[in-house]
Amino acid sequence: MADLYPSLAQCAVVATAFKILLFPAYKSTDFEVHRNWLAITHSLPVQEWYYEKTSEWTLDYPPFFAAFEWVLSHAARYADPAMLVVNNLSYDSWQTVYFQRATVIVTELVLLFALSRFVKSVSQSNKHLAHIASLSIFLSPGLLIIDHIHFQYNGFLYGLLILSIVLARKQSTLLYSGIAFAVLLCLKHIYLYLALAYFVYLLRAYCLDPKSVFRPQFFNIIKLGVCVVGIFAVAFGPFASWGQLLQLKDRLFPFSRGLCHAYWAPNVWAMYSFADRALIPFAARLGLSVNREALASVTRGLVGDTSFAILPEVTKEHTFGLTFLFQLLPLIKLWIRPDWETFVGAITLCGYASFLFGWHVHEKAVLLIIIPFSLIALKDRRYFSAFRPLAVAGHVSLFPLLFTAGEFPIKTVYTTLWLVLFLYVFDQVAPVSEQRRVFVADRFSLLYLTFAIPLIVYCSVVHQLIFGLERYEFLPLMFMSSYSALGVVGSWVGFMVVYFTA
Amino acid sequence: MAPPPSSYRPRKKRKFPSSFTGSNNSLIVETGGKASPAFPLVSFLWSARAGVSQWLVLPLILMAVGLFRWAVSLWGYSGFQVPPMHGDFEAQRHWMEITIHLPVSKWYLYDLQYWGLDYPPLTAYHSWLLGKLGSLFDPAWFALDASRGFEDPLLKVFMRGTVIASEYLIYIPAVVNFLRRYTRTQNVPVWSASIALVAILLQPATILIDHGHFQYNTVMLGLMVASLDAILAGRMLWACIFFVGALGFKQMALYYAPTMFAFLLGVCIFPKIRIVRLLCIALITSVAFAVLFVPLIVGVVGVDARETLAAAPQPPLLQLLPVEPDKQSVLYAVIFQLAQTIHRVFPFARGLFEDKVANAWCAIHTFYKLHRFEASLLQRMSLGATLASILTPCAIIFRHPRASLLLPALSSVAWGFFLFSFQVHEKSVLLPLLPMTLLLAGDGGLGKEVRAWVGWANILGSWTMYPLLARDELRVPYFVMTLLWAYLLGLPPTSLEIFRGRASLEDTTPGAELHVLTKLLHACFYLAMIAWHVLEAFVAAPPGKPDLWVVLNALIGAGGFGIAYLWCVSKLIQQCRRIDQKVVEEAEKKNQ
Repeated sequence: MADLYPSLAQCAVVATAFKILLFPAYKSTDFEVHRNWLAITHSLPVQEWYYEKTSEWTLDYPPFFAAFEWVLSHAARYADPAMLVVNNLSYDSWQTVYFQRATVIVTELVLLFALSRFVKSVSQSNKHLAHIASLSIFLSPGLLIIDHIHFQYNGFLYGLLILSIVLARKQSTLLYSGIAFAVLLCLKHIYLYLALAYFVYLLRAYCLDPKSVFRPQFFNIIKLGVCVVGIFAVAFGPFASWGQLLQLKDRLFPFSRGLCHAYWAPNVWAMYSFADRALIPFAARLGLSVNREALASVTRGLVGDTSFAILPEVTKEHTFGLTFLFQLLPLIKLWIRPDWETFVGAITLCGYASFLFGWHVHEKAVLLIIIPFSLIALKDRRYFSAFRPLAVAGHVSLFPLLFTAGEFPIKTVYTTLWLVLFLYVFDQVAPVSEQRRVFVADRFSLLYLTFAIPLIVYCSVVHQLIFGLERYEFLPLMFMSSYSALGVVGSWVGFMVVYFTA
Repeated sequence: MAPPPSSYRPRKKRKFPSSFTGSNNSLIVETGGKASPAFPLVSFLWSARAGVSQWLVLPLILMAVGLFRWAVSLWGYSGFQVPPMHGDFEAQRHWMEITIHLPVSKWYLYDLQYWGLDYPPLTAYHSWLLGKLGSLFDPAWFALDASRGFEDPLLKVFMRGTVIASEYLIYIPAVVNFLRRYTRTQNVPVWSASIALVAILLQPATILIDHGHFQYNTVMLGLMVASLDAILAGRMLWACIFFVGALGFKQMALYYAPTMFAFLLGVCIFPKIRIVRLLCIALITSVAFAVLFVPLIVGVVGVDARETLAAAPQPPLLQLLPVEPDKQSVLYAVIFQLAQTIHRVFPFARGLFEDKVANAWCAIHTFYKLHRFEASLLQRMSLGATLASILTPCAIIFRHPRASLLLPALSSVAWGFFLFSFQVHEKSVLLPLLPMTLLLAGDGGLGKEVRAWVGWANILGSWTMYPLLARDELRVPYFVMTLLWAYLLGLPPTSLEIFRGRASLEDTTPGAELHVLTKLLHACFYLAMIAWHVLEAFVAAPPGKPDLWVVLNALIGAGGFGIAYLWCVSKLIQQCRRIDQKVVEEAEKKNQ
């Protein structure tokens, strides 16, 4: 018998209580970013939205998100009109904080709805697995840290993504899935990373006959085309008619940033930088030439762009090439076998590829992998083995987002609670795989997990005790991101194997 | 030794495998052959029903309740940005400051006008320890005099951390151990015990006062629970030591003292007189008190300290002494120190009640001004009323010194103190609430009757502290924590489950359904609380009576607490009767 307790709604009540208690917690500049967007969209005509630059936090999300802020601003007026003044930089009266935090909680209902749809879409015998996966997503420490402390609207956006994935499950709702994803792209363009998987899947399963590639479904193509083009026309049409598309492009895709983000997202480039640093002492012995300029860089990766002392420089073209290549591989399989599970796997692998090889990747983007992966992590034990290091590494890599003392217990205890609870429950319920498990992969993930705790302790406490707060400040960050990168890469390799052998 | 007493329970149809016996039955509702949880908290622990190790469940529970504590502590605290005196936070910080910088002889004498130390010695030692620890981080937090009113965010994190650390080192181990032992004697399954543990650890009033308002009540409460645990384990001497610890941390533990005294005395007399035990208990208690004061006394033996004390004004207790010892002698210093400590800890000179407290005196004062009487008469009246209210429970626990009766006895005596004694503070409501809430872990404790009463008293308790919490900017945590607790336990105002009768009529266990009068009474109180919140939020008090809403709150609270007192006493009498009945039945069985 499948016991669906505690229900999603019950968890939502308790989680909401906790999130309300977090109102006075630390908030990052993203809070001010969103306040500024409320002000811009509320007090300026649409033509000026993407030109306004009183604040350094200019509007750099696509038009639908701007419209979303515009809708919110109408409610904001009743909370505190002063937050809607563009010149009120860094304004954070308690009404503003309560209002903005509350909107995050309320819009997260989209996620709750999508997850309940997900549970409903699963067959009776697997319902409890879907239920557990939904709870793990709803209570995810990633969403708690990024949305409810750091401040963003990911719960809402990922809710839409999951809704779109769930709609892709049935042939009859494939069109709506495409529409939902198009809307999502117009809300936040980071989801472009996943767009190829959608493109291939919709083309193969909706526009062509699932049984034969050579029988195009013309009516479906027209429906999908009209809908998607229509959505983009609604979003970008007005700006195109005012001739602002180039300005939008500059705002949405600021390519002047460096390879690694300030905090080193745990990806391949973090490992690359780590290897570079590690090679410096041996450079002379190995007869390698050292780039003096990079050595002199005191921050060593803390700020903006990293430059490498020994290893060759990485260009944007390299990152694009690698991302595209590793997105392409899973898509070939999706083309051959266009079923839902392969589709979710392909989305996950697209997320992996862009996170691991992308240019200027933010550590928050790890949710792009974790959330779609959670939907299929309980398919069988092989999936779960690949998921485990990702769950640990992905969430631990978010810790540097919150660096204040007051939030330290929350991020660590909440993440530990989530990891212990859900990894245990997943381990209990994940069905046995039909195929052989890879012995090495299991040992790797166990070894990996045991390293997490001493490393976290070192980075958060011991390092400061040994070196003080200022010296070698980059070391804990570099250790953490290299360690997390190892986990993400390991789980990527593991999942690739599972995906291609399934 | 005789098997541990367990309360009487009529035979009934077994619906579940043997692992679901005991009070589990009230946790699972069966409708149409499908089992479902009776209230939300049960469903959160639903998967832990069987086959999940306590080594997993317990850490998860402790992490979850810890998160809520820390989240509450992000909010305001007593006296934040209210110069010149600030509030309890500043008082505790100030004690850390004076204990680490001043010699012991000055602890109870230094600048008494600015938060002079007025808690017993254990609090002083605790403050010293925390002050030393905190100075490792930043000595500026506790610089003598210079740090007054210091409000650095990091200091707040440190202070909040000390509250959590103290709680996790004392209160939580004590509660966990107590529950383990108590549920075992009551034949309550481990699963129900885990549910009760969550309910007890999420008690809103305690969290709001300790982690919101800022105090270290859980240390005292934890020592008290440790003492109860020792009693259950049959280690009476450890019980004495822990109880002296509780008293030595906070004098409020006196609310429990009559029960403990009656119980320990009863244990030595019934069923047969055991003089050695009595002597041991007396000796250990005295030694424990002596040890408690040793650091204070050793500190005043030195020449400098003696001079300080000789120059200081004498506490009133010392003036009562018939002989006048030499002011430079060691004896004088020791007596002075003791007298000064007692004088500081028990402020007899203050009024009958402070502020608006939901007790009998404040309620009477509203209608019939008590100022007209002399202070000494009021003191005697208060003493008389308190004694009258605690007489019955004390007599029962003295005549039937059984561990299973301790919880209702402790709570009724504490309610008696809260309602009638002198100088009651609204925060003192935590004391009667603790043993009452622990009843949730007893046999049938999560059934409707006990859950409804305990829940109602807790919600009422945190509601009477609303005016205090509102002053500390803790409105949001107050609503969140209280409603969350009500929600988890399936209580009004979030759910009316407790009022609805269940379809199955076969279950005739007492307490399975609420009495209609109970329903009516609780419904009235819940409605009154909601109406009061609406009034307080939207209607301004009439100009002549600015305190009208606060007084109304205290009045309703006093009425409710009076009823809670009566319920605890009746619970005590009921349980006592059941045990007697059982003893008689067992005797009959033996005779047959």
